[in-house]
Amino acid sequence: MKLTRRDFATGIAAGIAAPYLIKSAKAQAATLKIGMCAPVTGPAAESGGYAIKGARLALEAVNKAGGILGKQGELIVEDDQTTNPGIVLAFSKLASQPDIVGFLGSIRSTQVHAMAPDVIKLGKPVMIGGTDPNLTHMGNQWLFRCRPNDSYSGRVIAEFGVNTLGKKKWAVLHSTDAFGTAGGKALSGALEKLGAPSVLDQGYANQSQDFTPVVLAIKQSGADILGSYFTFENDLGIFARQLRQLGVNIPWVGSPSITNVTALKLAGPALYNTYGVADYAEDSSEGSKAFGKIYRDAVKVAPDNQSSWTFDAINVLSAAINKAGSTDPGKIREAILATRKFAGAEGEYNFDQNGDGLHGYNVVKNEKGNIVFDKHIEFND
Amino acid sequence: MDLALQLLFTGIGIGAVYALVALGFVLIFRATNVVNFAQGEFSMVAAYLMVVAVEAGLPYWAAFIVALLGMALLGVVFNLGVYYPLRHRTYLPVIIATIGASILMANSVLAIYGPQPQVLEGWFETPGIQVGPVYLDSQYLLIIGVTICLVIFNFWFFEKTLLGKKLQATSQDKEMASLLGISVSTMIMITFIYSAVLGGLAGILVAPVLFVSIQMGSTIALKAFAATIIGGFGDVAGAIIGGLALGVIETFGAAYISVPYKDGFAFLVLIAFLIFRPQGIFGERVAEKA
Repeated sequence: MKLTRRDFATGIAAGIAAPYLIKSAKAQAATLKIGMCAPVTGPAAESGGYAIKGARLALEAVNKAGGILGKQGELIVEDDQTTNPGIVLAFSKLASQPDIVGFLGSIRSTQVHAMAPDVIKLGKPVMIGGTDPNLTHMGNQWLFRCRPNDSYSGRVIAEFGVNTLGKKKWAVLHSTDAFGTAGGKALSGALEKLGAPSVLDQGYANQSQDFTPVVLAIKQSGADILGSYFTFENDLGIFARQLRQLGVNIPWVGSPSITNVTALKLAGPALYNTYGVADYAEDSSEGSKAFGKIYRDAVKVAPDNQSSWTFDAINVLSAAINKAGSTDPGKIREAILATRKFAGAEGEYNFDQNGDGLHGYNVVKNEKGNIVFDKHIEFND
Repeated sequence: MDLALQLLFTGIGIGAVYALVALGFVLIFRATNVVNFAQGEFSMVAAYLMVVAVEAGLPYWAAFIVALLGMALLGVVFNLGVYYPLRHRTYLPVIIATIGASILMANSVLAIYGPQPQVLEGWFETPGIQVGPVYLDSQYLLIIGVTICLVIFNFWFFEKTLLGKKLQATSQDKEMASLLGISVSTMIMITFIYSAVLGGLAGILVAPVLFVSIQMGSTIALKAFAATIIGGFGDVAGAIIGGLALGVIETFGAAYISVPYKDGFAFLVLIAFLIFRPQGIFGERVAEKA
């Protein structure tokens, strides 16, 4: 047999490439990839860091328990820059990798709206934390929510304020983005049903530097209680300080951002004695306590909903893939929707046909900077 | 009336911050004929320097001095690294370089210090005082006071001192200044240092109110830039009046017309000026200047 120059070159090339090809094939077979869009940069970069840590902690536990379909789970994170174009770009980068079987989207509704058309085109499950009720009611069968939506938060804020605190003259303050608008609408709707329509419905633009006109409007409205939907913690911090400085001390029940670690740090005593609805409250269930311990041990800060929802999202998604016994998107979808009585950090998951996993909220109180669980209100309708 | 007084105070307070940053824009524009789009980042960097110095255990006043010295150094580096190599080019490459520098500064702080917004306590233990129906935030009082002092200082410095006159001469006609023996490059260096310190001062003063974050500089700078145009680009008094006017207009607009469109009022005024009086309040028409 005569060895030609071409045979020799082919042999050498194959020899060099073979280890890499084998290693790559091995790596592909060894892991099962989950994509995650998270704000690594931009205004929400801090909370994005918490979200990534929550997801990684869940995946570590899943991997220790045997992994997903017998393989180790691998998290691929893309920076969404805390912007809508950023998340569209991040998701398209992840979607172009065919071996990613499921995704984690954003906690911000406006970003989920931005990426939603691409989610439909891709046809793979995306776990989300955005709480605009419309997200799971607009015909997108691939969005699965791991937090209770704002129709529940609005109802819980209203019910707690009206029935527990006995207040009927409400000022409703909300961001004008998708999350804030939907939240404000849900709260106003719930208040009307309880016979306590708001005396002030006030929107504000994100990243405001001064809330004096808003505080004065609340003061002039004669409201005896405030309900709020803030998107960014620095807005909440500035508002809280100005509210107290200008002498408004009415009870305040806020959406989950009022209990965030960042908000507590920025606003400090200005948030003392406020109430919040929180999808995550450490003392609300055994699952919440367990997550709290894992998170505190690993990250050394108090856990909040930024990390708890991603922790649950990974766990729900992994369990659904294992239950489906396949990476086929349709089978994973069916398995997620069939999830019942799944104990998560945020509560007990019972997915409905819209893709909503949770149907109630916890009410918590800020007692000198400590978030204390008050009660859980669950809805069955 | 009570409402109007409260709004007026807050509007002047926030306007004073715009004015301080706008002043930095104007000084550099006068000296170099280019707009420094990194002026807002000077505020952000100074606020972070202040946080670092306070966290390192320095007394507040010492941290303040350290932060301002840091800004003076940044002014030198900025001049040598961004402006000086491009000084013989047209204004466009310099402007693009300042935008690039602002991105570099923001991302450097992000990489070094992380994305967490920080709390910087104010100078005073008392957050504010109640005077009749109006609550006077102590930090805003300080900002307004510093702005007034700077107006007086600028007048004295530019009109009464030799160095100030040299800086004015450089900004008006570099060639003539050079022929008269003034070191143009030194004057431009001094201008950059002064602008960086001014921007830094604004950042340190406003940090207790707005918190210290990567975005704080760009948010302020956008309004300060609008204030500079409204006041008349290149005019020191214009920058002050433009900044104060913008703060008051947006605060009153938000209170009496619409809160969500607060930023819109500022830019509506800007557009109106660009259409009807592009030279701003104190600016001269180009033909008149000649």
